[in-house]
Amino acid sequence: MIDNSRQFHNRRRFGLAMMITLLVFAALPTVWVLVLSFRAPVAIFEPIWESPTALTLQNFYKITRSDFPAALLNSFITAGLSTTFAMLVGVPAGFALAKARLSGKFIASWVLLLLRMAPPVGFVIPLFLLYANSGLIDTYLGLVFAYMTLTLPLVTWSMWNSFAQVPDELIEAAIMDDASLAKAFFLIALPAARPGAVAAAILAFLVAWNDFFYALIITRSGTTTAPVAVMNFISYDSVDWASIAVASIALTLPILPLMALANRYIVQSLSGAVKG
Amino acid sequence: MTAQAQLRKGATYQLQRGYRLMMVPALLAVAIFAIVPLAGMFALSFSDYHLIRGTNWEFGFHNFAKMLADKRLMNSIYVMAALSVLGVAAQVLIGSAVAVGLQKITGRWRVGRILFLLPYAVPHVAVALIWLSLFTPTLSPINAFFDVFGITVPAMLTSQWGAIFAIVVADTWTNFPFAMLIIMAALQGISPDLEEAAAIDGASRIRTFIHITLPLLAPALLMVTLFRFIDSLKHFPMIFVMTKGGPGRSTQATNFYAYVQTFQSSNVAYGAAIAVMLFLMAALISFYVAKLNQRVTS
Repeated sequence: MIDNSRQFHNRRRFGLAMMITLLVFAALPTVWVLVLSFRAPVAIFEPIWESPTALTLQNFYKITRSDFPAALLNSFITAGLSTTFAMLVGVPAGFALAKARLSGKFIASWVLLLLRMAPPVGFVIPLFLLYANSGLIDTYLGLVFAYMTLTLPLVTWSMWNSFAQVPDELIEAAIMDDASLAKAFFLIALPAARPGAVAAAILAFLVAWNDFFYALIITRSGTTTAPVAVMNFISYDSVDWASIAVASIALTLPILPLMALANRYIVQSLSGAVKG
Repeated sequence: MTAQAQLRKGATYQLQRGYRLMMVPALLAVAIFAIVPLAGMFALSFSDYHLIRGTNWEFGFHNFAKMLADKRLMNSIYVMAALSVLGVAAQVLIGSAVAVGLQKITGRWRVGRILFLLPYAVPHVAVALIWLSLFTPTLSPINAFFDVFGITVPAMLTSQWGAIFAIVVADTWTNFPFAMLIIMAALQGISPDLEEAAAIDGASRIRTFIHITLPLLAPALLMVTLFRFIDSLKHFPMIFVMTKGGPGRSTQATNFYAYVQTFQSSNVAYGAAIAVMLFLMAALISFYVAKLNQRVTS
């Protein structure tokens, strides 16, 4: 009995030590960015414990004078538009895929998954040539089109899962009562799947917001998004670390509330496949 | 057939037609936004298109033949495999450990979950830049901390395995919470009665874990591994920001190599051929995932 309890305590202690180590791993970079963003430029290469008071708000002020805020706005516009379009087109399609009697549903699910998983380099090469020849390089329209390859499969796939959880009887009953399909969709199915729809929109927005690759290749200075614009703080001979830290925070802050809303859904969207 | 049945059949037909109509916009959109670029990728992969020289309209398998003899491509596949295997393994392990650990934490400390979730919210470019700063010896607080004890932390980004390690660390930092979330959900689905029953039957904790918990977690672990593995084939921002593929070519993963060939060496056709190879890999894996998904949902 005594032996057992000692073993129990040792195991507890080991578990606690492991969790603390992992917590340091998870939290250190976040704390570091916060410190870096407040560091006075003269003290940036000194360890924080040597000059703990060399802190300033200047870095935040400085970034408002740069091109970065405009890039943030570009990110909002392109991510917002591509999410809106994907929702308009993808939500009805998800509903139909969940409820219609169709052969080839497996193919549809495979294609949607594949589009979600395919390496973007394959899409971007032909798009780049197409855009270069049609003047779509460095336009909102071009970037929004490109983001549709990311957002549309995501929205359609998620909404398919969400609508599948709405009981068929609900829809059938409405149709029996002489409601049109459009009515059944707008008045019954959509309200029932609303949490899923909100989450799908959030996830689509995040995918577009986080994109670096498409924007790197098909935007120039006019429509640069924030993830690409951060790279401007790295020049050939020096790196503006303080601005990079501030920009990283600015890139993350707007999506924190979205992430908080969506994280439960990230699990749900996969749990259809994980239930096992 | 009675009149009523006929009427119902007509209604069903109309209903199914309605469903199909709802899919039309999405089908059109997929055709425009996905099929057109993909067709372009395949067409280019058989061409000789060069960004500067243009094309002589010669079509054939020459790009694929070139791939077979390309040592840099082989190297990129090794790099991709190393990044994927190490990264996914670390993410699944750390994600599981944190999920199991958090399960034991109750009460007000549960708020601490947020600290583990936060890295998942940071966009990849920011992740890459943050870790670039942590791996820059003149700047990094890690180096400064160990300097106090007279220990010099080696510069990671200047050696091959150091650079691979650095990218794996950054990738793991931002993606282990994904594994953690899925495994936490799966753990919640496991009834504690099962583990208790095993304990009463005299099974040790390790045996309980291996024979009861692990098999029940297996579907979740498989799904997480597959999803993370597919994503890891797309590695780009971290390589681009942290190492640019270097030192030398030691972190040039295949996806990045396709980018280099296309946009730096102007070999568009060859870049497209590499993209086709990656696409076919994604097609295989996603087929498997779709099959798995179909088995559990139907």
